Amino acid sequence: MSAGDATTSATTTATTTAAARAAAAPPAGARRPARRPRRRRRGPSAYAVLVGMAALAGIMLIPFVVVVFNALKTPAEYTANGPLAPPEGLYLGGMRDFWERVGFGRVLFNSFLISASVAVGAVLLSVLNAYALGIGRVKGRMWVLVALLMANTLPQEALVYPLFYLSKQVGLYDTRLGVIIVFTVIQSAFGTYLLSSVLSTFPRPLLEAARIDGAGRWQILWRVVVPVVRPTLSVLLVFFFIWTWNEFLIPLVFLQSNDNQTVSVALGVLHGQRLMDATMSSAAALLGLIPTVVFFLVFQRTLSRGLTAGAIK
Amino acid sequence: MIRTGRGAALLAALAAGSLALAACGGGGDGSSPNELRLWHYEAPDSAMGVAWKQAIEEFERTHPGVKVKFEEKGFEQIQKTAPMVLNSKDAPDILEYNKGNATAGLLSRQGLLEDMTDEVVKRGWDKLLSPNIAVTSKYDAKGVMGGDRWFGVPNYAEYVLLYYNKDLFAKHGVKVPTDYDELLRAMDQFVAKGVTPLANAGAEVMAQHYIYQLALDKADRAWVDAYQRYTGKADLTDAAWTAGATTFADWVKKGYIAKSSVSLKAEDAGVAFMQGKFPMMYSGTWWFGRVAKEARFDWDTMLWPGGSMSPGSGGNLWVIPKGSKNKKLAYDFIDITMKKNIQNALGDAGGVPVAADPSAIKDPKVKRLIENFDALAKNNGLAYYPDWPVPGFYDKWVSAGQKLMNGDSPGEVLGALKKDYDSGVPK
Repeated sequence: MSAGDATTSATTTATTTAAARAAAAPPAGARRPARRPRRRRRGPSAYAVLVGMAALAGIMLIPFVVVVFNALKTPAEYTANGPLAPPEGLYLGGMRDFWERVGFGRVLFNSFLISASVAVGAVLLSVLNAYALGIGRVKGRMWVLVALLMANTLPQEALVYPLFYLSKQVGLYDTRLGVIIVFTVIQSAFGTYLLSSVLSTFPRPLLEAARIDGAGRWQILWRVVVPVVRPTLSVLLVFFFIWTWNEFLIPLVFLQSNDNQTVSVALGVLHGQRLMDATMSSAAALLGLIPTVVFFLVFQRTLSRGLTAGAIK
Repeated sequence: MIRTGRGAALLAALAAGSLALAACGGGGDGSSPNELRLWHYEAPDSAMGVAWKQAIEEFERTHPGVKVKFEEKGFEQIQKTAPMVLNSKDAPDILEYNKGNATAGLLSRQGLLEDMTDEVVKRGWDKLLSPNIAVTSKYDAKGVMGGDRWFGVPNYAEYVLLYYNKDLFAKHGVKVPTDYDELLRAMDQFVAKGVTPLANAGAEVMAQHYIYQLALDKADRAWVDAYQRYTGKADLTDAAWTAGATTFADWVKKGYIAKSSVSLKAEDAGVAFMQGKFPMMYSGTWWFGRVAKEARFDWDTMLWPGGSMSPGSGGNLWVIPKGSKNKKLAYDFIDITMKKNIQNALGDAGGVPVAADPSAIKDPKVKRLIENFDALAKNNGLAYYPDWPVPGFYDKWVSAGQKLMNGDSPGEVLGALKKDYDSGVPK
């Protein structure tokens, strides 16, 4: 679903998304028994893999390096030495100018508000849906999943016009709430799809034991199911946050006034009709990137903690 | 268990809190008689950005009690969302919008733009704008430019011109050309010294400007009008087009234009010129301010040697949405932007004003830029851009330029373009 969102600062967002996708494996792997014993005997093939991964990580970092280089250059340096040369000094004017030009503090707050609300809302919605589909095994769940999958493959361009008219009708056009609702639904379509298949393999004895102890459906959900799949939920939360953060088209269309704009839309201001301001664009991309990276790093620790907790059970 | 419970509570609190926050962020429709809501997408340090900032200050000074609420937008944002915004109650009172059939023309046909004809005549803007410039401001009932109703007013113009690096000419002992033959001779001398004379970008607009200019050298005004405004039958395989495409392919073969530039972007070519790697670059006035700021060598500009017509047109337009609630204020604002002092400020900042007083401009390079434009416009020499007549033609032109650079026969390339043109022209 976030394939089309990389329109601005294509390279950088593409890298984050790619990195996010590459890391998307843990929830499935986490459910397998821990692999700790094998750690001691590392054969030559393991080292080869390590070197290969390090090289891959290095390649992934190249776009970041280019962005950082250009963000710290003066426009004159960029013109004189080209985009790949390292900066001669530390020039922060590009970032400062951009910050003031778009009122970046407010834009950052908007992005954070929207992404956080969507991440939390979409995870909640996904859990509720997936509980009904994966564990409740409601009738016709197969078709519900197929419909959700199809909704996922639908390009956002096709959704924009209908959503625009709907939001205008209900008075949510140019409000952050409108965007939050739209993305909560879009993201939870994917979340429901993923969680349903996770929950359909949920250990039945656990559920039966809870039922024998006298737990109701609601209690089973919150006391048994959610704690067990919490690692998966945390991963979903992080991804929903980052995907929503990087969304471009729908915020562009829905958030008209500059007071409501998000980071990725604000970056678009720098692309003129004929010319682009490469150094300021890089500075802006860096500013827009830092929060997601920080968010990812912070939650990376929670993720691994939740991961081991899940493994013990 | 306790930890889980707390986590869930935290989650719920976060969700509730953020939704509540989001709910209070609704925007009003923002129409107030004491506020002019204005959008444009020019960078603050560009010529238009500088001049319009001054115009906003003057507007607020001459309209006590009225505030201008300016929002800077991105070009893409306005392109993509204008039809929707203008159709909602959140439309601004006045905005900058791209000229042309597919943009301002389309919106005028959909009835989203105010017909300004009466005010334009009353306030005398039609006298300030030469007919050649005004073509992109006036649209007919089908939304085709060059019509009889005014839907926008440009403050500036643009044209394609030859930037040249005087230091490189001096270093290699080449005389700066004044006509077409001298241009050829100069390019031969550069090639003999191992220097590629012309900067080019095959992946973007530059290559088609070369081809179009070389065709214009063999054409007249009627030919341009037939191609751009459908006033006659345009034939993309006629003598002028064939000459343009053949000469361009020939120049690549002779090394006037580097074959390796086939996949370059305009940004790359412009930066290479500003680094002093090419003696000449043929591109638009939109580079002027940047070259002036960043080039570390002696340079100047001229019209295409020996040409009487060049790609160019009036700039983007001030348009007033049909739903604007402060039309009178919007007209007052446009009036201020057309005044001599604002127009001169636009020129001083490196733009091409439409109604400036060239004698008031101090910088000799800017003066030449404006005088050359005035000469071009007076001779009815603005030929617009080759990708204008048919929707989606830009990509076809880019690929045509690349094919020519890769050695495809000009006849075949033009034949393909002709097919696209003929099927795309409004009947």
